[in-house]
Amino acid sequence: MSLQAVLPDTISGLLGLEGVLGDVVGGLVGAFLVANIMLIMTAFAGPWAKRKITAAFGDRIAVNRIGPFGLLTIVTDAVRLLSKELIVPEGVDRPAWDLAPMVIPFSALLGFAVIPMGNGIQLADPETGLAFAFAAASIASLGIVMTGYASNNKFSLIGALRAVAANIAYEIPLVITAASVVIFAGSLRMSEIVAVQAEPLLSVAGVTIPTWFAFVNPFAFALFVIANLAEVGRNPFDIPEAPTEIVAGYQTEYSSVYFVLIYLGEFIHIFLGGAIAATLFLGGPAGPVLPGFVWFTIKIWAFFLFTQWARSAVPRLRVDQFLEIGWKGMLVLSFANLVLTAIIVGVIA
Amino acid sequence: MIGILKGMAVTLKHALDGQTFTVEYPETAPEVSPRFRGVHKFSQERCIWCRQCENVCPNDTIQIVQDDKRNGEQYNLHIGQCIYCRLCEEVCPVDAILLTQNFEFTADTKNDFVYNKEQLKNVPWYKDIDPLNSRNPDRNAWVGEGEGEVDYQ
Amino acid sequence: MSLEEQQSDEPAELESGVSRGDELADLLGDLVVGREEHMNAPGLVIRPDEVQDALFKLRDEAGFDHLSCVTAQEYEDRYESIYHLTKFDDRTDEVSVVVPTSKDNPVSQSAEPVFRTADWHEREAYDLVGIQYEDHPDLRRILLPDTWQGHPLGLDYDQDRPQIATLREHANPLEEDHRAAGDSNTMYINIGPHHPATHGVLHVETVVDGEQVVDLDADIGYLHRCEEQMCQQGTYRHQIMPYPDRWDYISAGLLNEWAYARTAEDLADIDVPEYAQIIRTMGAELCRIASHMIALGTFALDVYGDFTAIFMYAMRDREIVQNILEDLTGQRMMFNYFRLGGVVWDLPEPREEFFEKVRDFLDGLPQALEEYHDMITSNEILQARTVGTGVLPPEVAKSYGATGPVARGSGIDYDLRRDDSYGYYDELDWDVVVEDGCDNFSRLLVRMREVEESAKIIQQCVDLLEDWPEDERNIQANVPRTLKPEEDTEIYRAVEGAKGELGIYIRADGTDKPARFKIRSPCFSNLQTLPEMSEGEYIPDMIASLGSLDIVLGEVDR
Ligand code: SF4
Ligand code: SF4
Repeated sequence: MSLQAVLPDTISGLLGLEGVLGDVVGGLVGAFLVANIMLIMTAFAGPWAKRKITAAFGDRIAVNRIGPFGLLTIVTDAVRLLSKELIVPEGVDRPAWDLAPMVIPFSALLGFAVIPMGNGIQLADPETGLAFAFAAASIASLGIVMTGYASNNKFSLIGALRAVAANIAYEIPLVITAASVVIFAGSLRMSEIVAVQAEPLLSVAGVTIPTWFAFVNPFAFALFVIANLAEVGRNPFDIPEAPTEIVAGYQTEYSSVYFVLIYLGEFIHIFLGGAIAATLFLGGPAGPVLPGFVWFTIKIWAFFLFTQWARSAVPRLRVDQFLEIGWKGMLVLSFANLVLTAIIVGVIA
Repeated sequence: MIGILKGMAVTLKHALDGQTFTVEYPETAPEVSPRFRGVHKFSQERCIWCRQCENVCPNDTIQIVQDDKRNGEQYNLHIGQCIYCRLCEEVCPVDAILLTQNFEFTADTKNDFVYNKEQLKNVPWYKDIDPLNSRNPDRNAWVGEGEGEVDYQ
Repeated sequence: MSLEEQQSDEPAELESGVSRGDELADLLGDLVVGREEHMNAPGLVIRPDEVQDALFKLRDEAGFDHLSCVTAQEYEDRYESIYHLTKFDDRTDEVSVVVPTSKDNPVSQSAEPVFRTADWHEREAYDLVGIQYEDHPDLRRILLPDTWQGHPLGLDYDQDRPQIATLREHANPLEEDHRAAGDSNTMYINIGPHHPATHGVLHVETVVDGEQVVDLDADIGYLHRCEEQMCQQGTYRHQIMPYPDRWDYISAGLLNEWAYARTAEDLADIDVPEYAQIIRTMGAELCRIASHMIALGTFALDVYGDFTAIFMYAMRDREIVQNILEDLTGQRMMFNYFRLGGVVWDLPEPREEFFEKVRDFLDGLPQALEEYHDMITSNEILQARTVGTGVLPPEVAKSYGATGPVARGSGIDYDLRRDDSYGYYDELDWDVVVEDGCDNFSRLLVRMREVEESAKIIQQCVDLLEDWPEDERNIQANVPRTLKPEEDTEIYRAVEGAKGELGIYIRADGTDKPARFKIRSPCFSNLQTLPEMSEGEYIPDMIASLGSLDIVLGEVDR
């Protein structure tokens, strides 16, 4: 069915289980593993790496008191945040307000189900894998709308509306740019997209450069990264949060556990954005010497680093400018890219 | 686009050169100028109870209690209310009240900051430096009296 | 230009002031019902119901286009409002319009139709002193809460009376969207007092249509600390000087101290030794750099949206300045370094080390500024955000009494260091920075370029100080221990603070404490322009405009 056995099958094989039971156990254990990998990564990224990186850009030292390199801050922060009082403001719309902090991180986690992370770590490899990943990632917007509407706070509302506007404006260029890759690869299946990129593009002095689509079509890669920044709401496109303008945007009213969940969701979302970009343009888990999973991790962290770097030096756009770039710039360019790719592929093939 | 890249290059340069501007307090105790004004130190041996410091203090931080023979009994100073203007040190004719460089003081409540003369006497010098010498040279310039009669009280 | 204005060196000023007073009295004719002499300007007494006529005449026919300050005070027998008028083109040409009103009916005509800056100034006068202004568009309390009882600077005010205002009595803007009633397209939101971008506790009552600001009202007073009253309770000689540091507390201390020093020295006729003036000038410009660095950093913060690298770099450079100032004054922000008649300390020993420190800072500054330009002004997104937003046309800026970098960013060539020179500025070689853009970007540029000019000034001061003969290093004039300026002398003097024209009015009553001490805060007037700049713009632009005004709420509210 796929080029490589997916993770649940491997697990059920290892356990010697078959049939429905094998599927269920394998699926659950696999999902548990993948989710935990991502949660551990965000745990590093959120309370620790982000601070360290920001500090490095700003000539500061940052967390270094607790544990080696301040790593145990992660633990203390977790305890601190979880033990805070959960403040429920008056007039919030209860079920929606409680649901939203769950929708946001879980939708992002869901997207990882179809990402091949190397070394056979992939939960499922459906034919529509790419479409699934985008669809899952977009559910987060639903969660954001819920927070904005349910919080009974005007800043939240504005933040949520901005998030929706951003999502609509940049989701289309994002998907269209991805479609140009699909034309190259001829498949929506993630594993096949990765496999196609493994072929050599050209050899220079004994070094073989693979057909990573970032090399084949750097323009599309740039478009994708920009749209992706907007999609995950990072600088210069962090308008749904926009701390100096609308306080904290859609998450203004959240505290304690709920805040942790939303915060977590944001980071997983960044990693998912990085993962999709890596899969589509950077050969997924491919890379020399090191095992695939390590390469995959390096690639998504590189994307995370990039978002932090942009944060240190790029001002935020105003909301109207932001939408203008989305509709008048990115949309047109992404369609141009798609048509060009289609023509080139059509002529060559 | 060039401008954005330039900005990103600048921050990257700072990130990579590994220099930091902040220090790890308290492991690295900051350098404090000799003139820096911190918590007061009071010397009862020197004080002549002239009450000039009490009079000059702009916000009534100093409270002096004397007996009926004008001998000093109490000298209280609210270091949490003080604005560290150093006027008391300046007017004191005998250097009995002096602002050390010590800026590290804590208390559980505001009232704990009301120091009596014993507490004031025990305020430690910051890094064992008595800053008096670095401050003295210009005292005379400032304590000039003008043309009219001197009125100490 | 009349003859009198041209010969405006110090001693001639008083003489020409007299004839200037006659001239202006002639111009106003019957409107003048009496004359007064203030130390800085002639005073014309006007009837309370003819204020607008007189001010219109002075503005349109005599060219007094800058209402610098409105001082209100209560005497035993009357209330008095003083309008301190001057010109943007010629700062030394001043006139005070004095409007007495009776005790039992303290009603006076508002100056708001003539000078829009009078709006807030008169509200403050009403709030603190209790004079009513007829024709005023919106005579509410401004610094104190709406529920306050009495007027604290009035003579019969009872300080000990408790002011208890329950939440119920207090207008609670959170209660309902009262401004949106009947108009469902707009939304009322409170930006502040707890908001990341208000630079302190400022409350901006905003009505938005979508994301566009339709109406905006800055609600101030959260940081009102009775600074004027505190100064009225301190002695001229010692006790007032520590407080100016605390008005604009963001590193501008020495500039503020200079405002008081200048006013009081002119009032008591004290000469400051030249050597002390150079030290003052150097210290003040160091403060200006520190203050502009913060302005730069926080403006970047407002536009970038995070505590990003630029903010840290700006803080770092400010830190260097603060270390220098700490060596010089003994404190990092609350300097209390100036004294009437000079400064308290000579440069720290060893002097060479101090000079080297300052020089090192000056040498590193161009490179630091280059970095800022790379990161801020040449950034296309920042340009897109700031060029053409928050536009403040020069006429509007003048009418609101905007000064400092805000005015100079609107193309108004006005800087007190040159136009009404004090200290050592007129001996030094430097330029007034003016930008014509009138937008957020210009105001940013003005500050960045002013840092360079300040560096130039410091450089020259250091050179002078280094070569100063050792036996002539006189840091203090001989000033009596107790100062008692003559009764009923009045003076209004201003200096170029970090944010603009920082003026002080003092009326002496023969004691060692001022009878009235009024602070003209540049931020107070500058903040008034916010609605002009932001109505019709997006919320992010409003935030950027607010940042570009570089207000310090401690100085706005005093
Ligand atoms: S430093 Fe100033 S405020 Fe503090 S006790 Fe001395 S005179 Fe009073
Ligand atoms: S001024 Fe000096 S000598 Fe006089 S009472 Fe104060 S501490 Fe004592």
